[in-house]
Amino acid sequence: MKNGAVRDWGLRLLVFAVVVGLWEIFVGYSQNFLLPRFTEMASGLFHLLFRDHRFWEALYVSNQALLLGYAVSLLVGIPLGLAAGRLRWMDRIVNPYVGVLLAMPVAPLIPIVIIALGLGLSSRVFIVVLFAFVFITVNTRAGVRNVEPSLIEMAKSFGASEAQIWRRIVLPSAMPAIFAGMRIGLGRSITGMVMVELLLVASGLGRLLLEFSGRMQSDLVFATVLAVIIEAIALLTAMQAIERRIAGWAPDISIG
Amino acid sequence: MIRVRGLSKEFATFENGSGGVLALSNIDFEVRDNEFITVIGPSGCGKTTLLRIIAGLIPYDQGEVTIDGRPVTGPGPERAVVFQNFALMPWADVLTNVTFGLDIRGTPKDECQAKARELIKQVGLEGFEKRLPKELSGGMQQRVGLARALAVNPQILLMDEPFGALDEQTRRLLQEQLLRLWEQERKTVVFITHSMDEAVMLGDRVTLMTPRPGRVKEIIDVPLKRPRLRDVEMSSLFLEVKEYLWENLRAMQVE
Repeated sequence: MKNGAVRDWGLRLLVFAVVVGLWEIFVGYSQNFLLPRFTEMASGLFHLLFRDHRFWEALYVSNQALLLGYAVSLLVGIPLGLAAGRLRWMDRIVNPYVGVLLAMPVAPLIPIVIIALGLGLSSRVFIVVLFAFVFITVNTRAGVRNVEPSLIEMAKSFGASEAQIWRRIVLPSAMPAIFAGMRIGLGRSITGMVMVELLLVASGLGRLLLEFSGRMQSDLVFATVLAVIIEAIALLTAMQAIERRIAGWAPDISIG
Repeated sequence: MIRVRGLSKEFATFENGSGGVLALSNIDFEVRDNEFITVIGPSGCGKTTLLRIIAGLIPYDQGEVTIDGRPVTGPGPERAVVFQNFALMPWADVLTNVTFGLDIRGTPKDECQAKARELIKQVGLEGFEKRLPKELSGGMQQRVGLARALAVNPQILLMDEPFGALDEQTRRLLQEQLLRLWEQERKTVVFITHSMDEAVMLGDRVTLMTPRPGRVKEIIDVPLKRPRLRDVEMSSLFLEVKEYLWENLRAMQVE
């Protein structure tokens, strides 16, 4: 490991230790017996991971909606962003709706979606898509629109076809922005997944959270949240590793 | 031979095409085979537009542009462009950037690589094949741009203020290098510039353009001997031509 990496990790652990320390002090002073200490949370997490099979089932159920919804978001969001970025007529159609979706809070739509699609997996997937895809579209569109015009002109000057321009110039140029959208989209997907499970369709991790809080098992509530955070970090880290390989040449950018 | 006759180009100001700015008006000029012609004029005279039209990158409204008698309707394999801002792919290394044109034209991979390596050597970038553009200086980046254009072995090299973004010393080094390469293989070169020194130093003839709408004011012969070394800059002929250009450009300059 390089020196810089060691230092970075040291700083990160320090921040973590400070936050945990403050948490312990806060809980120590507070009279609220429901607030678990960090150590209790940690042991709760251990319990969930190794003692409670329901956690893994819940994780599996939640991740179905997450992964399906995220996959659909990518399949819809990226092509839509690509088209809107390069085709002006497409942009004219898509852009107003994208604006609406960006500005509109999604949570109030959850009841409507459930009325329309029922309480099954499809509503959960749909809501994850609603949460995520528009951010993927916006970033992809921005990436395509920001392609350096002189690069396209350069490709044309060598006689490149539209397909070659897409493959050799537009896609590689837009890749960092597409990845930024994918990262934000993933975060939004996780939010959407938990939100729908908590608010209406009690299933998966959301259901587990509701159960634990109903039984005042606050250490397990916190532990479940921690588990969601850990999963999010793991997925984002994996994605960043891929991003560095594919789009490592570019400075970091994102919209969302 | 490049022949431009009665060329006019208007840019629409609004999307619906109403109103417009006349960028070029009734341009007539010819570039002979293997000639190095420079084009100079005040900013906004449409010299870059003229080059882009010859490159087939933008359409024109009136007149005709032909290369060896064939009208220009788009880019063609006999032409290659060197861009002012280098136009290198920032994600691709030097070798990939240089092979781009060959690759687009379907040249087999081995051949691409061999040709690209040869040109990288010629422009003095040996050992930098795996570097990304951002790791290179401006002068080196434009040498990549030059190698990329030369790699497709064009008859005609269209250069759009290629050294305009470089500092004085780098610019001079690249001028010398370009002249050396051109002496080895005399291609037809159309070279846009806003530097009078550059226009006279490089060109067999200098095309002087007027401000908007751009017209050809005059085409001036530069009867300096070749190969041109730096000492020609001291010659009275060089200074004379430059002075003549300056008189004309100064008269055109609207403050």
